[in-house]
Amino acid sequence: MTDRSHLIGHTYTPYTFPVEHGKVREFAGAVKDDDPVYRDVEAARAAGYAHLPVPPTFSAVTSHWAVRDTDVLGLDLRRVLAGGSEWEYLGDVVAGEWMTVRSRIADVQYKTGSRGPMTLVITEYDFVNQHEETVLRLRSTVIELGEQ
Amino acid sequence: MREPDTVPAAPERRVGPLTRTDFVRYAGAGGDFNPIHHDETFARAAGYPSVFGHGLLTAGILGGYAASWLGRRNLRRFNVRYVGQVWPGDTLVFSGEVLRTETGPDGSVEVEVGLAVHSEADGREPRLVLRGGATAAYPAPATEGSRS
Repeated sequence: MTDRSHLIGHTYTPYTFPVEHGKVREFAGAVKDDDPVYRDVEAARAAGYAHLPVPPTFSAVTSHWAVRDTDVLGLDLRRVLAGGSEWEYLGDVVAGEWMTVRSRIADVQYKTGSRGPMTLVITEYDFVNQHEETVLRLRSTVIELGEQ
Repeated sequence: MREPDTVPAAPERRVGPLTRTDFVRYAGAGGDFNPIHHDETFARAAGYPSVFGHGLLTAGILGGYAASWLGRRNLRRFNVRYVGQVWPGDTLVFSGEVLRTETGPDGSVEVEVGLAVHSEADGREPRLVLRGGATAAYPAPATEGSRS
């Protein structure tokens, strides 16, 4: 197994992205969420939001904006699985806002499971809005299975 | 006397059968173009019987389920752990249960729930594909009653 322990603490280049009306609507459709607050501004305002709020896992769209740093992990995509994620909601995120994403490799773990040895890479993301408020935290685990 | 439940019993929701088009739509919305989710040749070469859905697609649908059950504005934390793959043709079955309800000194209530997604397909036993959880917070009632 490739030793990646030295990557713990690695910080990715921060990036800023706009929360777009059309993207909110597209994402809600892709996850089959028919709540009108994700497509109708009037429904969103009636629910108390300044504009369309974002679905709970909308943070996924940041992969469209992330800065493509040098691939420090060097994972083999054929052996990569998503492990899991945890979102912490600290404030509203609505269309029209700007988010800055600061992320770092929080941990690298080695385990042996039913599918043999595996490497777990845990990344933490802070989402900070244009008012410098941290409105969302995300912790995500990616698994690379051992070579067959 | 038992206090009324803060949240109703979890509804059951079924989504599917999912198609390759659903996976491609999610890839575009979320920006995850790992070919294992849309390129049959790549997926087979990696040892899988076909392409399979993004974990975040299942997580995204579950997030909507949790938000509609617990209240979008009440959601404080949401987590998922991927247990198994979702294949084209699978129908996802969403369920949840209240694990803990805690009333704070100010009358606010925090509810912790467990969530699960099972996958059903013709001729196969339902399989657990995702295990999750969520925490929701409910403010104290605005009018102070004669609580004792």
